[in-house]
Amino acid sequence: MVTEHAQEFETQDLLLNVGPQHPSTHGVFRMVLSVDGEVVRDVVPYIGYLHRGAEKLCETMDYRQGIGFMDRTEYLAAFNAELSYVMAVEALAELEVPERAQWIRMILCELNRLSSHFMFLGAFGIDVGVFATPFIYAWREREELIDLFEEVSGDRMMYAYFRPGGLAWDVPRNFKDRVRQVLKSARQGVADFNHLLTENEIFLARTRGVGAISAAEAIEWGMSGPSIRASGVPLDVRKDEPYLKYDQVDFDVIVGQNGDVYDRYYCRLMEMHESIKIVEQCLDKMPDSGPIMPEKMPRMLRTAPGEVYIRTEAPRGEYGIYLVSKGGNRPYRLKVRSACISNLQALKDMSVGQYVADAIIVLGSIDIVLSEVDR
Amino acid sequence: MTADLFGLELNVWADAAIRLVLIVTLMTVVVMGLIYLERKIIARFNQRIGPQRTGPFGLLQSVADALKLVGKEDLRPRSADAWTFELGPYFIFIPVFLGFVIVPFVADWHIRLLDLGLLYFIAASSLSIIGWVMAGWGSDNRYAMIGALRAAAQGISYELPLVLALVAVGIYAGTFNLGEMIAQQDVVPFIVWQPMAALIFFIAALAELNRTPFDIPVGESEVVGGPFVEYSGIRWSMFFLAEYAALFIMSLVFSAVFLGGFLWPFGDDLGRLFQAALTTAKAGLFFFVVVWIRISVPRLRIDQLMSYSWKVLLPLALVQVLVNGLVLVNGWSEVILLAFGLVGVAVLATVTGRAVAAPRIRPGAARRPLAPAPAHGEAAS
Amino acid sequence: MTSDQTETAPAPDLSSTIWSEVDRALAGITARPEKAVLDLVVYIPRDEVIEGLRRLKKDEGLAFDYLRSLTAVDLEEEGMEVVYHLYSTTKRLNVTVKASLPNDDLTIDTATTVWKAANWLERETAEMFGIRFNGHPDPRTLLMPEDMTDTFPLRKSHPLAEIEVLQGEGMGYSEEGE
Repeated sequence: MVTEHAQEFETQDLLLNVGPQHPSTHGVFRMVLSVDGEVVRDVVPYIGYLHRGAEKLCETMDYRQGIGFMDRTEYLAAFNAELSYVMAVEALAELEVPERAQWIRMILCELNRLSSHFMFLGAFGIDVGVFATPFIYAWREREELIDLFEEVSGDRMMYAYFRPGGLAWDVPRNFKDRVRQVLKSARQGVADFNHLLTENEIFLARTRGVGAISAAEAIEWGMSGPSIRASGVPLDVRKDEPYLKYDQVDFDVIVGQNGDVYDRYYCRLMEMHESIKIVEQCLDKMPDSGPIMPEKMPRMLRTAPGEVYIRTEAPRGEYGIYLVSKGGNRPYRLKVRSACISNLQALKDMSVGQYVADAIIVLGSIDIVLSEVDR
Repeated sequence: MTADLFGLELNVWADAAIRLVLIVTLMTVVVMGLIYLERKIIARFNQRIGPQRTGPFGLLQSVADALKLVGKEDLRPRSADAWTFELGPYFIFIPVFLGFVIVPFVADWHIRLLDLGLLYFIAASSLSIIGWVMAGWGSDNRYAMIGALRAAAQGISYELPLVLALVAVGIYAGTFNLGEMIAQQDVVPFIVWQPMAALIFFIAALAELNRTPFDIPVGESEVVGGPFVEYSGIRWSMFFLAEYAALFIMSLVFSAVFLGGFLWPFGDDLGRLFQAALTTAKAGLFFFVVVWIRISVPRLRIDQLMSYSWKVLLPLALVQVLVNGLVLVNGWSEVILLAFGLVGVAVLATVTGRAVAAPRIRPGAARRPLAPAPAHGEAAS
Repeated sequence: MTSDQTETAPAPDLSSTIWSEVDRALAGITARPEKAVLDLVVYIPRDEVIEGLRRLKKDEGLAFDYLRSLTAVDLEEEGMEVVYHLYSTTKRLNVTVKASLPNDDLTIDTATTVWKAANWLERETAEMFGIRFNGHPDPRTLLMPEDMTDTFPLRKSHPLAEIEVLQGEGMGYSEEGE
């Protein structure tokens, strides 16, 4: 739209503030777009509106008290956040997690991945412009999953269910049947989204070729999760460095081609199929009874001095916990390696040269949750 | 002079005044009903129920909304240009009402069937673009300005296919008078002979109404209101009413021009009430399809929208006019029109599908080739 | 290159780690290895750490092209340590690199010349610990407010308000865990 003739005019770029209060920024996030007509020339993101000092607070917390903080750093995928933390504590305290607890952890983490991706699909649908339908579909599916989580842990979003060593309490007796029920509705939900959006010509026109990032650039920026897999890099912690029982289940790593917004959306959609597959295999392999905490759990959990960096595959990318301990029952330094902040660094590269409406979609496709960015 | 109104002989001015008041009242009530209907239809598509508590089946929801809006404080930003800001809504609202003059609801229920009915309609309704720009500029707000400019660009671009589609039908019918057009459709509605013109009119009407998928002026970064972002209370409700009134008018015009209005297929025999029901049904069909599209498809970006109008709709509308002219001048059979129309619809559908599916290469952001996962990264700057 | 061991601790068993290749890649740079719970930790003096990181990235056999995390640990009297976690996407290897900073001179060169990902990570580390990264292209605050550039929250010397236990003693919320 900006032709050669426009250079004869002296124009000034418009500074558009996509401010902290905005329906499309997925939380309190501010970016200042420098816009020339409709084309974005520069993006300056401002974060920190949701910084609550989780890392500092955890230094004064006992290991078990810190679990609640980890929930709140990523409230949409709280099980995955808790998992990294308790795995780090277990590595330092040399605790052995019983088998049944590991399977249950795996099931819950994958179900949480499903609910997080449903949330993404809903919010992304709104960003692209479909009025309410994807959002309502997403919420309908999430209700099923969240009801299950409430039955298991007592809370709909901030579970505080994992403990170093295993789980807080055992799952209800009808857990397997409930999970199968939930999977059935989740499968239908994924199919609904597929029918609604994937082949829609207007959706394709809006998202194909928009916000592309190449594989080399993505690795350079340290992106992770579906955002980097859409660029063609098969980086998945579950396959590269398997934890829990991921080496005993069979699933594919979904890799895209162009690294544009459509590929990021499609990778997440296909990942939901893989998650359903994983959960089904786990249900078959999970022992029906067994301990969920090790036999000799110390009353006060102390860890040996040392440090560890545990990484797991959260729905948004690689959620890492770097835990330094000097003995005692508190961390000396806890660093949360947040996937979203690394993905967000690449926002400028992806948005410059696109239209304003595309910048919004690109932000939506990176799928950030501000509590993880800001901790 | 006297005029005949429901069998009463009245002074012309009184007759005009009464008709206007009736139409305005009818329109307000109908618009409130349309807002309620839309919410119910959208809710059903979303597997929800929609308004259900205010009044029986939620029927008083629109009344409640209107009361709330009227009771709100009328805010005006201090740096907003006073005259432009306050006159903007009127410039959007009044041209829509002007369009109601020529629409025939039932056999004698209209304000005035002008001979240049369609032309008058198009001319009057295109004035509302001025109102959009006034609202956007007068708000002294960047989002409003961007939305207003987008609305102006979109409105102007889609006027042309809209007008040409109506002109094509006018050529075929030999008149712009809506009453005579309806009379000519007593056997076969014009949609049979002019399917492509009907489709072009439908798409262009969606764009003129700023409805999805063309609602980018009011979807500024998705939901921040566009030119209306600084308005509150009764001024905002005027925009809202204007949008639905325009939708109502477009439904009526579409049903009058293409679907045979109140006459097809049952003719004049069954009485006024039945004809009113028929008009309502046809307009309702248009409305339902518009709402259906709204909740199903994403919105187009401004450049895709503009290129669609200028590169796809306008040439096809011109071709339709040409073919109409050829057929009428040479006296060929009307079946040619039907055949051409169907071919045209197929062409339009194909081209639309291909046009929106082709990814656009933007200047300065060409798609980067996929680099293999490197053994060394390049040394960053 | 000298595998320095502390006199009091036994020599760490590095045979299961990638120390030999790392050692080869870091030829000419002082590097001291240690084994953490999962990964190999390499201590490099801060003057040579950026060069060491660059060598690790460019080395054909190791190819650490992915910077996972960059942070710092406040060790009170012993200074601060800047910690880099590296990963190789092609070879699936991990290594942790640490550089020690004395308390009176908390400066170090920026790693943005090696990976772009270091940009925001260094901004956050700088504002939380008060470390200055020389040559950083954009040294603004990231999470902290723009005007609070003199407060470094994650330092051990920065006080955390006393946590008032507002539940009753009967809940057993004391120092001794639950």
